[in-house]
Amino acid sequence: MSTPSGFDELIHPATRLSVVALLAATEWADFAFVRDSLSLSDSALSKQLHTLEEAGYLELRKEGAGRKRRTKVRLTDRGRAAFDGHVAALRAIVEGAGPPAAAGRSAPHHSTEAAR
Amino acid sequence: MDTDREAVGVSTPVDAEQAWRDLQRIRVPQERVYDEVERSASGSPRTTRTTAAIMWVFLVSMGLDLPKWGVWLALAVYLVALGTLARAHHRRSRVRLHHSRCDWRMLAGFVAGAVVTCATIVLSGRLVEPLEPMTGALIQATVSAAVFVLFTGPVSRWSTGALRGRNGRKTSEGAGR
Repeated sequence: MSTPSGFDELIHPATRLSVVALLAATEWADFAFVRDSLSLSDSALSKQLHTLEEAGYLELRKEGAGRKRRTKVRLTDRGRAAFDGHVAALRAIVEGAGPPAAAGRSAPHHSTEAAR
Repeated sequence: MDTDREAVGVSTPVDAEQAWRDLQRIRVPQERVYDEVERSASGSPRTTRTTAAIMWVFLVSMGLDLPKWGVWLALAVYLVALGTLARAHHRRSRVRLHHSRCDWRMLAGFVAGAVVTCATIVLSGRLVEPLEPMTGALIQATVSAAVFVLFTGPVSRWSTGALRGRNGRKTSEGAGR
């Protein structure tokens, strides 16, 4: 089975998928909110955010100064489109597998092309 | 396992089970956003009370026999105070819900809040007309502020309450098929 179109390899890793999924529900989110919601360290989150920022998937904006300084994170249109495409691809993979895989029981296994 | 996936990166194969788990995984951080929006909508009684207090002061000031410029000044002060409060609330917010997740209930909640509050102000104004202006203004302001406080909490909870179910369904639609 080939990987459906829209499948985004940059978003695919679990942490990045969670970050983008969270941001997809927001206009913007505070860095601290993303960090706390995903139980990540500052450095781990920064690393993922910069990877996504370099790809043009999100924007980082610093506001305020001193102790009130905060960083806002916003998914760009490109990032949002990539996330929607990735979700559609995941759905296509699950639908292609046939009967639904309910929580608590395992989904049907389908062999996929390992792009190694 | 997640660490393995991170390490493997772009060349990770995805089977149906993994895709299913990813779709479920997407829901978790989005639930955090809905939690925050709900908490923000229903858990800020201080903002509600402050808004009501500002409204109370404004309505009482209308009971004073102010000249025309005084009425305009009171209105300007009222609007500036509301704007300042809104800015402070915005600064405290940690997240803003994306417009695609908003639905008619949020708009309906806002409109209903405005209609009920304005209707209370007008109706109570009519009912207290026979009374002395200052006494009438005090009653009108107190009743209107009370209605605002009583109405805002439940309506906010109602308008944000459907977020989780609706958007959760949207995410899992494909997976559940």
